[in-house]
Amino acid sequence: MARNFKGIEVAEIISDKCIACQICIGECPVGAIELSPEGVARIDPELCVGCGKCQESCPVDAVRFEKRKKRRLSKGERGLPPRVSKDHRGIAVFIEVMEDQGARVSWELVGKARELARSLDTRVLGLLVGSGVESIAAEAVAHGCDEVHVIDHPRLKNYLSAPFGKALADLCEDLRPEILLMGATHLGRDLAGVVATRLQTGLTADCTGLAIEEETGLLLMTRPTFGGNIMATIFCERHRPQMSTVRPRVMKLPERDTTRQGAIHHRGWSPRESDLAVVTDLIKEVAVAGSVDIVRAPALVVAGRGACDASSFPLLQELADVVGGVVACSRPVVQAGLMPYERQVGQTGKTVAPRLYIGVGVSGAVQHLVAIQGSEKIIAINSDSEAPIFRVADVGIVGNYLQVVPELIAQLKRRSQGP
Amino acid sequence: MHFVCCIKQVPDTADVKIDPDTNTLVRAGVESIANPYDIVALEEAVRLRERYGGRVTAISMGPPQAGLCLREAFALGADEAILLSDRSFAGADTLATSYTLSQAIRRLDLDLPVDLVLCGKQAIDGDTAQTGPGIATRLGYTQLTYVIDVEWIDPDAGKIRVRRQVEGGIEIVEGRLPALLSVELELAEPRRPSLPLMIRSLRSAFQVWDAAAIGAELNRVGIKGSPTWVKSISSPPVREGGPLFDGERDIAGAVTQCLDAVFSDAAFSAKFLRKWED
Repeated sequence: MARNFKGIEVAEIISDKCIACQICIGECPVGAIELSPEGVARIDPELCVGCGKCQESCPVDAVRFEKRKKRRLSKGERGLPPRVSKDHRGIAVFIEVMEDQGARVSWELVGKARELARSLDTRVLGLLVGSGVESIAAEAVAHGCDEVHVIDHPRLKNYLSAPFGKALADLCEDLRPEILLMGATHLGRDLAGVVATRLQTGLTADCTGLAIEEETGLLLMTRPTFGGNIMATIFCERHRPQMSTVRPRVMKLPERDTTRQGAIHHRGWSPRESDLAVVTDLIKEVAVAGSVDIVRAPALVVAGRGACDASSFPLLQELADVVGGVVACSRPVVQAGLMPYERQVGQTGKTVAPRLYIGVGVSGAVQHLVAIQGSEKIIAINSDSEAPIFRVADVGIVGNYLQVVPELIAQLKRRSQGP
Repeated sequence: MHFVCCIKQVPDTADVKIDPDTNTLVRAGVESIANPYDIVALEEAVRLRERYGGRVTAISMGPPQAGLCLREAFALGADEAILLSDRSFAGADTLATSYTLSQAIRRLDLDLPVDLVLCGKQAIDGDTAQTGPGIATRLGYTQLTYVIDVEWIDPDAGKIRVRRQVEGGIEIVEGRLPALLSVELELAEPRRPSLPLMIRSLRSAFQVWDAAAIGAELNRVGIKGSPTWVKSISSPPVREGGPLFDGERDIAGAVTQCLDAVFSDAAFSAKFLRKWED
């Protein structure tokens, strides 16, 4: 029986028997069957999922198909040559440096890596690339790395895609980790694509769940896709490392323990100049006045279409101050030119997962709702009791926000002073 | 100068759902659109051509229907468009996609040297943002992601200067050409196609290149060239909506009930009182 590249046993049409009734074409759930010019049904083996529906529906037994137990593919049955070997060991975490410190997301991933390492009975490797990053290596141990491998080089002072990509790929080629995790930050996502391409391995972006499949020991990477409407679980069977970028604030921050022991290895690094030929020059970093990072804020007060009025923004800012957060907005507010794009929450804006989300006059378009679903608590204020946001909000108040918000501020102030 | 713009035809993701009975994607009735980020990239390419002269080539990988987004590219001002279409390209992940696109760019480069490749930050169906860096790495181009402004290009010196979004700020970076930019939505507002351009777009024909045309090795494209596989899909966990309080008649009462409900979660209440410090 034929097998396609996915390793699925596929169905075949026995041309002599086919009467071109086209019943199977209608039955096929993936549209893999079409009528050939010769007047017989033909199955595209690459589209076939091996469900057997065509065989069941065929009135003249013209489909050859045998459902068998799944079998692992052996070498050479698929396209790309496998890059898995027994000496791929350890779970590596790229330690991102942010404002001269290890990024919080990197420590979250070290915590997750410890958990995965227990299932695989292996070690957690911290990979640190930069210039003058010595103190961060000790922090990596304190957060849970068994080993930290450091490339400290003057050419790595500022982040640039090409030299960092080269350095991290070099480390992976030396250490041969079976898994490499990186934070899904701007830097992490920029770098991950470079490293995966250099190592010719699979990369799964922006994951929200990681687990080890018990039978196979493979990393199962779960991520939102189609704008958050669907969760997909991805795996990378035959290439190493299995790479994944993971969203900040999804994994739990591990306890920092300065008594932990771990080995710190400094590695020499001598890139050829040709490897760095595309180095760009960082002119300067602009600290934008009034710039806020709504992704990292623990609380958000989000202005929607119903609060699309600049004169009410001081009120929203006051509420944000009381809850220890910042003001963000939905798309209509940006389109009206009242707030900058960097404050926009939503599919074409930013996906957020604050501890507290307060929507003020946000009705809740699908694109907005999928971008806020990771929030811990959602409070919605809207004058329309039918607003879709109430279907996902933990609690809602129907009313005029100009009246509700001042009352909310007053009561929150009382509560934040404690009982 | 030669600007190459990569465009992906995507389903309008707001409409994509899972059929709860079969656990498969329901694509019926879902409209296909050109990825909005890529349209911004194209707009910028056209503006740069207006400023520095040259040619804009739009490329897209996909089934024959993906030609629709290339029609749109013509309407927005692309000079030439190429559809990369071959059965062997189907099922590609980002590694295989970046290989296929970079092979096409290599071929374009033979006809007219490529100075700048522009693509959207990410596509709204997969949201991976991985294909751009993959292309830049394969071609050895300067990689400039999350671009919000192109300040200038100096064709004689072969340099470009852009502003890019980074965590908590903006960076101004100068790089050598050829370069690859992945762009944010705020970079440019796409224009409305003019009538003459729309008419031209209907008359213009895009070329179709298959695997052989770009000299692609068949085990590096499509599903064969893809290390990652989808194991399963599911609907995201659904948030349950909570109680609604009437804040029209009794504002203070509604707010009190609302906050009581929120802070009945003791752990959450404690975090709030600690001002979210861990």
